[in-house]
Amino acid sequence: MDQIRILVADDDKEIASAIGKLLSIEGYEIIEAYNGLEALDALVSNNVQLILLDIMMPKLDGLSTMLKIREKKNIPIIILSAKSEDSDKILGLSMGADDYITKPFNSQELVARVKSQLRRYMLLGDMANIISDSQIIIGGLSLVKDSKQLLVDGEPVKLTPTEYKIIEFLMSNVGMVFSAEQIYEKVWEEPAYSVENTVMVHIRRIREKIEINPKEPKYLKVVWGIGYKIEKY
Amino acid sequence: MDTKLKSISRNTATKFIAFVIVVILFTTTIVSFVYLENLSFNYESLFVEQYKDSETFANEFNSAIHETNYFINDFPRNIPDKLDYLYYIKTDGLENTNSGKYTKEFFLSFKDSSFIYENGEILLGENTAPTFITSFNTQEDITMYIAFTDEYLGSKQVNWETAREKLIPIVITIIASIIISLALIVYLIAVTGRKHEDESVHYSWIDKIYTELLLLALFTTLSIWLASIVELSYYPRYYNFQLNSIQVRNIIIIGLVTAVCTILCGAFLLSISRKIKGKIFLKHSITYSLFSKINDFIKSLLDGRRFSKNSLTKTLHQRQIIFIMVSFILVFFTFLFIAVPPLILLPPILEIALIYWYIKYNNETYEEINKGFDESIEEQMKSERLKIDLITNVSHDLKTPLTSIISYVDLLGKEEDLSDTARDYVNILAEKSNRLKNIVSDLFDLAKSTSGNIYLDFESIDFKKLIEQTIGDMEDNIEKSGLQIKTNLPEEPVNILSDGKKLYRVFQNIIDNALKYSLQGTRIFINLEVIDRKAVATIKNTASYEMDFTQEEIMERFSRADSSRTTEGSGLGLSIAESFTNVCGGEFDIDIDGDMFKVIISFELL
Repeated sequence: MDQIRILVADDDKEIASAIGKLLSIEGYEIIEAYNGLEALDALVSNNVQLILLDIMMPKLDGLSTMLKIREKKNIPIIILSAKSEDSDKILGLSMGADDYITKPFNSQELVARVKSQLRRYMLLGDMANIISDSQIIIGGLSLVKDSKQLLVDGEPVKLTPTEYKIIEFLMSNVGMVFSAEQIYEKVWEEPAYSVENTVMVHIRRIREKIEINPKEPKYLKVVWGIGYKIEKY
Repeated sequence: MDTKLKSISRNTATKFIAFVIVVILFTTTIVSFVYLENLSFNYESLFVEQYKDSETFANEFNSAIHETNYFINDFPRNIPDKLDYLYYIKTDGLENTNSGKYTKEFFLSFKDSSFIYENGEILLGENTAPTFITSFNTQEDITMYIAFTDEYLGSKQVNWETAREKLIPIVITIIASIIISLALIVYLIAVTGRKHEDESVHYSWIDKIYTELLLLALFTTLSIWLASIVELSYYPRYYNFQLNSIQVRNIIIIGLVTAVCTILCGAFLLSISRKIKGKIFLKHSITYSLFSKINDFIKSLLDGRRFSKNSLTKTLHQRQIIFIMVSFILVFFTFLFIAVPPLILLPPILEIALIYWYIKYNNETYEEINKGFDESIEEQMKSERLKIDLITNVSHDLKTPLTSIISYVDLLGKEEDLSDTARDYVNILAEKSNRLKNIVSDLFDLAKSTSGNIYLDFESIDFKKLIEQTIGDMEDNIEKSGLQIKTNLPEEPVNILSDGKKLYRVFQNIIDNALKYSLQGTRIFINLEVIDRKAVATIKNTASYEMDFTQEEIMERFSRADSSRTTEGSGLGLSIAESFTNVCGGEFDIDIDGDMFKVIISFELL
């Protein structure tokens, strides 16, 4: 596959065009669509590797378009919407989106997320082959226990031993919430006494390494007033 | 002249003096009267100068005749040795006398008081009035002479005159007192409640007492007064016109009681007359207010006023009342018609018709109510939806052009052949459009939370942990600011029910605010304590500028701690913090003390 093709579907032509230009700079080929039907048509006639999809579009809205696409294709879909409620995000992700970016977006973040999704999509075939007991895959994260390595979208991330222990513990119990004390006792193997700050600082560092936008983490989440968890994907 | 008279007559002092005079005169009257009664004065001496002409003497004379006549029955026994008068009796040949004389002439010589009965005929003394003899019946065959001696009459006359001398001035005093009192009472009744300034009735505090209570008090006082007079009136028969010590004491007590009772009764009477004048005598009574309330209640039931608040069920209530009342009347007629057998079926038939009417129309009303209720709920939901839609749409419409702006500014920045000046401009545009993005985002967060259209995820969270996590999360910013954060948190968890994510935003905003506006080198204090089953968090910082605003002003939307408005941020931080705290179930407070800026957030403990 020489060039990666991305479909940008947004009823606002200027936005579609801006995204197109941003991604062209990164070397991708862009197809623009201005409503859901156009997007579906474009998919028929083109081999597309990733879709950026707006929700509020005329003729066929983003979510319905996504359902139609998902009937046939498993390519990554990133929703790009002005709807910024948690409930909107959850709805979009549960209906089959791989990521959700709110407008107005930061262009670097957009590019990073697109790259992340593409990497995962491209590597998916390889990763599927090497799944074993010693490997935990959650979304774009994959933890290789044997080599004590964490891959984010296939790229290895440099972690300190403590950071690795924390992420290993949380990924082994994906979706479960652990308090700072529990994490501390598990990782440091010492009795925990006012460790909230210590743990929080480590969590923040890990987030900076594995998350595209550490302020809006996708994987490693703080459950405020309770603890920390790795989100299930 | 007329007004001057009015001003005097309506003067409080005048009225007061009149009242006091009435009390004194009335007390005098009663005391005098009781004094007279105690001494058993014979009031006849007032009108009749001579004892021998008096009714008293006539009675004495008559009883002497009857007494003597009575002696005859038991003659000659049982005749007392000592009598006030002289007699001679002759019957069945026996004769007796206490005078030593047996002749008719001797007895007739007492011209003022002699009585002769002989051969069935009555003969009186020369100056003896025939009216003295009321009735006399006896056997015809007796002879009876009776006479009072001049000495006896003389001594009686002396007593008579003494009494007369004492009685006349006292009685005149009493009569004068009564007349003056009555006049003053009439005056007082006329002027009470009136004032010189106007013609309206002025009430005093005593008029606040309900009419019934006033009357009851009046009659109670009168009863006590009369009872005390009856109880204390003790009239031993002394003829020397002297009072004994018990009588003196009793009269003094009666005088005091009378004075007090007169004051009270006077006050009550005047109050009553004021009320009558003001035409509130009946209105201002327990009975009246009770009746008017009952009346009002019944009226309100009938005319639907009572149910005007719940307009939906108004007709139901009215129908219910009609149903109950008509049923009651029908039951009454059923009992009445027991005596008239053919008619007894009528009330049940009417009752059935009534029940049919009641159920039929009630069902209609229920349907209406249900319809109305559904409609109102639908409307409410519609307006809720509209509100959410409005926020969402405005948000979308603002964000879409902003997305273009930000994207193109970014693309512009990627152009290589920009001049240095143009690059500066692009940087400014990028910075400002980013700020605009933050403001829009904050604005919608605030709009959603204040309008209640915010998704909340309540769970039990540890307040202490949340604060620690927030501080840990913001460590970079804290380090950058060069300020120190001092925490004082409890050892044990502080569990509250709240939305952790929102509460994190609250603390993030407050700490952010503190970092931005604190004086360099000062510390930010974050305390958490449990007071009265409440978790109270306080964030204190020393402002880097003079805070010339109040708590209220800072809470207003878009107000920022500094008036220059040049630094970054939307200015909505505190407003969002407040609004989020409130939707999360907590209380948000700000305290400004000199340069000390304090935020207090409290939650009920779980």
